[in-house]
Amino acid sequence: MATSQSSSRRSFLRSCLLAGAGLVGSGGLVKGERLLAYSGLAGDPGDPEVPNAEVAKILKDLFGDRPIRKGHMSLDMPLVAEDGRIVPVIIESDLPMTPDQYVKVVHLIVDHNPDPHLAAYHLTPALGSVAIQTRIKMKRTTWVRAILETSSGDVWAAYAHVNVSLNGCG
Amino acid sequence: MTIGDARIRIPDRITRGDVIIVNAIVSHPMDTGFFRTADGQPIPAFFIKDVVVTYGGEQVARFEWTSGVSKDPIVSFTLKADKEAPLTMIWTDNKGGVYQQTANVAFASA
Repeated sequence: MATSQSSSRRSFLRSCLLAGAGLVGSGGLVKGERLLAYSGLAGDPGDPEVPNAEVAKILKDLFGDRPIRKGHMSLDMPLVAEDGRIVPVIIESDLPMTPDQYVKVVHLIVDHNPDPHLAAYHLTPALGSVAIQTRIKMKRTTWVRAILETSSGDVWAAYAHVNVSLNGCG
Repeated sequence: MTIGDARIRIPDRITRGDVIIVNAIVSHPMDTGFFRTADGQPIPAFFIKDVVVTYGGEQVARFEWTSGVSKDPIVSFTLKADKEAPLTMIWTDNKGGVYQQTANVAFASA
């Protein structure tokens, strides 16, 4: 029963998507591409939106052309932040903290804040692990990026989308 | 609390080699520079921009902050307690204010 329900829902959704694609097909290629993104054919739904110019520059300055891969990192934030002045953040990583292989720095970037590059945490093996908690301000609903760099130059990231009810930046 | 009052909390009982959680808070307005007072005067940016953590005189972490960190900023991180030594944190704000606090890492006698 449950199976047939979910499969009929899936086929219903698929037909909606196809109908939608047909409708916007005449509206131009741009809309069609966006629809593809929403339907999950392009990328993971956990991927953040394409960075705006300011964030793109920050990422370029920090990491150059190195790939920013998702993994080895967790960013725990509320789905909805009622007060943008105090939004809790928990950053953790499962990567080792040994003298020859460790997490060198963790960057916290909030896409639509006035100063998106909110904080950088420079770490050493003496800390034993990566587990950072803090509280930040957020101006509006946006993606938050926690991106770490290891001592060997690898870059790993985790993303969270936070709905902000009250602007915490003025 | 007045500006710069700081506290560091570490566990009461620590055994050599433990990875402990360090909680720290410092009293600071963390003004962004975007707000105004009730009578319309702009409130200039005033925030902690740098935090240095030393353990036994050795720098183990450094945090670069902006005014995007919340008022009365808290931070927690882990530390591998492998020696009995003071853990010191020094917070520096954008107007040159320097605030310091120390907690002593000592091992519980077995």
